[in-house]
Amino acid sequence: MIVSWNWLKDYVALAVEPAEVEQRLMMAGLNHESTEPVGDDLAIDLEVTSNRPDCLGHLGVAREAAVLFGKPLTIPEPVPSEDATSVSDLLKVRIDCPELCYRYTARVIRGVKIGPSPDWLVSRLRTIGIAPINNVVDITNYVLMECGQPLHAFDLAKLGGPEIIVREADKGEEFLAIDHKTYTLEPGMCVIADSSRAVALGGVMGGADSEVSDSTIDLLIESAEFAPVSIRAAARTLNLHSPSSYRFERGLDPAGVDWASRRCCELILDLAGGELAAGVIDVGRERVKQEPVVLRLAQLKRILGIDVPAAEVQRILTALGNEQVRADADTVEVIPPSWRRDLTREIDLVEEVARIHGYDQIPEDAAVPMCPSHRSDADRVQGQVRQVLTAAGFDESLTVSVVSESWTKAFSPWTDAKPLKSYTPTLKGADRLRLSLIPSLLDIRRTNESVSNPVIELFETAKIYLPSDDELPIEQHTLGIASGGDYSSVKGVIESLVAALNPACQVAVRETKQPLLDNARSCELHVDGELLGFLGEVTPAALKSFKLRLATTVAELSMSALGVIANLIPQHSPQSAFPAMSRDLNLIVDESLRWADLASTVRESGGELLEGVTYQDIYRDNQRDGAGKKRLLFSITLRSSETTLTNEQADEIRDTIVAACGKRHAATLLA
Amino acid sequence: MALADFLQQLDELAADAVAAFEAASDAEALEVTRVEFVGAKSGRLKAAQKGMGSVDKADRPVAGKQFNEAKTQVEVALQAAHERLAAGGASSSAKPAEIFDPTLPGKRPRVGHLHPITQTIEELKDIMGRLGFSVADGPEIEDERHNFEALNIPSDHPARDPLENFYIAAAERSHGKPLLLRSQTSTVQIRVMEQTPPPVRIISLGRVYRPDTADATHYPMFHQIEGLLVDQHVTMADLKSVLRLFAASYLGHNVHIRFRPSFFPFTEPSVEADMSWGDDWIEFGGAGMVDPNVLRAVGYDPEEVTGFAFGLGIERLCMRRHGVTDIREFYKNDVRFLHQF
Repeated sequence: MIVSWNWLKDYVALAVEPAEVEQRLMMAGLNHESTEPVGDDLAIDLEVTSNRPDCLGHLGVAREAAVLFGKPLTIPEPVPSEDATSVSDLLKVRIDCPELCYRYTARVIRGVKIGPSPDWLVSRLRTIGIAPINNVVDITNYVLMECGQPLHAFDLAKLGGPEIIVREADKGEEFLAIDHKTYTLEPGMCVIADSSRAVALGGVMGGADSEVSDSTIDLLIESAEFAPVSIRAAARTLNLHSPSSYRFERGLDPAGVDWASRRCCELILDLAGGELAAGVIDVGRERVKQEPVVLRLAQLKRILGIDVPAAEVQRILTALGNEQVRADADTVEVIPPSWRRDLTREIDLVEEVARIHGYDQIPEDAAVPMCPSHRSDADRVQGQVRQVLTAAGFDESLTVSVVSESWTKAFSPWTDAKPLKSYTPTLKGADRLRLSLIPSLLDIRRTNESVSNPVIELFETAKIYLPSDDELPIEQHTLGIASGGDYSSVKGVIESLVAALNPACQVAVRETKQPLLDNARSCELHVDGELLGFLGEVTPAALKSFKLRLATTVAELSMSALGVIANLIPQHSPQSAFPAMSRDLNLIVDESLRWADLASTVRESGGELLEGVTYQDIYRDNQRDGAGKKRLLFSITLRSSETTLTNEQADEIRDTIVAACGKRHAATLLA
Repeated sequence: MALADFLQQLDELAADAVAAFEAASDAEALEVTRVEFVGAKSGRLKAAQKGMGSVDKADRPVAGKQFNEAKTQVEVALQAAHERLAAGGASSSAKPAEIFDPTLPGKRPRVGHLHPITQTIEELKDIMGRLGFSVADGPEIEDERHNFEALNIPSDHPARDPLENFYIAAAERSHGKPLLLRSQTSTVQIRVMEQTPPPVRIISLGRVYRPDTADATHYPMFHQIEGLLVDQHVTMADLKSVLRLFAASYLGHNVHIRFRPSFFPFTEPSVEADMSWGDDWIEFGGAGMVDPNVLRAVGYDPEEVTGFAFGLGIERLCMRRHGVTDIREFYKNDVRFLHQF
């Protein structure tokens, strides 16, 4: 809302600098955006919150200023002189859609002379950024900006017949607006029509056919109250936003409808001449009466933390236009003014008192009691995940939860269901709630490749959205990793992560088939028999589809599965004081034997002195060992908690292990 | 001979040999030195090997291992001397072949960085934790009750316009109830209050979604942190005081809090909270006293308890703190950007 400083002073005698008024208004709820000089005037831009449509006119702003500076407010009382002809003999109005148009009033002025507006009017409109058109249109704009009530002047001669019908638009009905564009209307929108066609889109914009022009002689002045929802839908659907629609959307002072009509007619008679037909056509619902509201003074202390003296409370409420109907030592009862439909409850009055009395009166050093707060287990697991991954050289990224349909198809290991779809895309083409973080991470790798970043190691923890038959979908907290390393390096990071959360847990792999991943070099990850996630190297074809040049390995883990295994309060167990012995083993085994199977045999046969089994390497020497064989090199660490082991003991255990491996896997020790 | 003595002899032998081979300035001198140390009959190495026989039997494996290492060391030094002289090089003591350069860069382990938004969130969580607020989590996909109705946002409110929200297409779901991506984290407050009798003292934070066109200051997804305190006798003075502690903890020095009236459906009175920044005021976030309708919607009695709530945008705070001028940087994830924080 742009306010003219000179105009504002018409209603309240402000003897202070504009800056002080701006400051006080801001601290009472009208946020000051800017002030620009325009000629000898100032254009003061104030932000009006949606609950205060009364401040979408100069009078409303003046009322706030009057209350804040303790000055009287002067509101003009328009009494336009009427001629003998009754308006009801000239015009009829019918509302066919009372849910879209609550009330419609019309006055008729005949014999006006259209011309330019006087300088004072032009200058005021210019200050607030409205271009002058002609005296009649300028007056409707002036009164709109004076009290916030939109008005429309029709050229009476261009209406087809003496009856105005306020009705719902027909489906596909076409309407040529003042901006000379044709709009296709829909049911739910309210039109002002004559017997044959729509002449205005109610509350939004007038029609080109019936607009006031230089040849206009007789006028119909409309002042009406349209339903906010219908106005909003029409303005939004047609992308036709006007100062009128803006105000109707927020709800207007029902008592102001007739005042604005009279004010408009009075100014037209003054500035454009003509004769006003007697009376007003006023159809629609009765004004809804404001209910009284009781304010218990004790509530002020209870909500605000400060006392406000009863006399001050009464002064504030009355000055704001509330009618005080009763007051005693503990309560004030008021009927709020018609223009403040936001005041219906006690708490509304508490806020009124607070903002005028001043929030600066509220102290900022209250003694708020102390209270324990505990960090949740999930939060602590997340903290550990971040610690391990950053220590492993991975950077944390944040990507958008809504992605393109093709990304949801590229990788969806957690569900076969179709992703949820948003009616509105977030970014271009992105309207599916993601089923995996991996495509988003691959996309960031592309961004980083395109600027030649040499090392691109990324992870993200975020939710993925798995459709479900429950009321709400499953939001699975997930860790995604995308690395330039290979399968084993990313697997190592995951093993370190699991070990950090619980050293007793072993990561096991199972086969998986994911179109994004190389079949051999990918797996499902399990811990304690529960699915932890997926890991694999991205296929060249998939790299290409994400426009990636560099080899990439990805992994995706369930954070809740990590939470299940996490041992957040590890317990101490004493360490052996004796040195360890180690033995290197080099076993010739079948090519198909997996390390995990061999290692498990080693652990089982090693006995309680076996402390650890460490994989070293694989060699192949098919000439010596024969085809289909490989050599597995590993070492074992042996330790007792009671004594220093001897070489003979170590050799004995090694021999037991070799024998077990021979029996179970046909492994032979390299001589 | 004791093992320790033997090992000391070995060390001395190896050190002498290395020094002597490095000092040899021509082939003749080198040959003399070679015989002295590795001569097959009476070289010092041979003597040491013999000496091993007098070491205790139990210590012999260790002695043998050490002997082999010393021998390798000597042989390597001899080989190096041969190569040096063959290449026409001078003795290392006269002209060192290599000079250690202490200014060479160290071998840096790659250290990953947390996203600046995460760093901001963790700092705010930490501060609010110290002020007694526990973190509450809730779904990002919400129903209208939690995103609107219980928050006192009636069905004709502009904020509920389908075009102002990301509604989930019903066709993809088996249930008819409209769902949407939450437009604020206040939804979590409703869920907590529905489940917990007062007092409640929580913060909720996370992703929220609004259909803004992406530009330097807008993004359709961003992060919010919201605080809620409901108890008997909670007042706006408590709100102002908690916000002052919050802001002062974040900035590291004392600040003042200023309230400007504002409007939010779920609080009344509603204010914009500013914090002092030098001689200026900067916006901190929206706040207010929990609207009685919200308290009633979760089954609380507004005559028994009062509460305050506040919320702020994390990107905005992070941008100001770190001088980021374009919100889209946060979601581009250029590792050069991430490594600045």
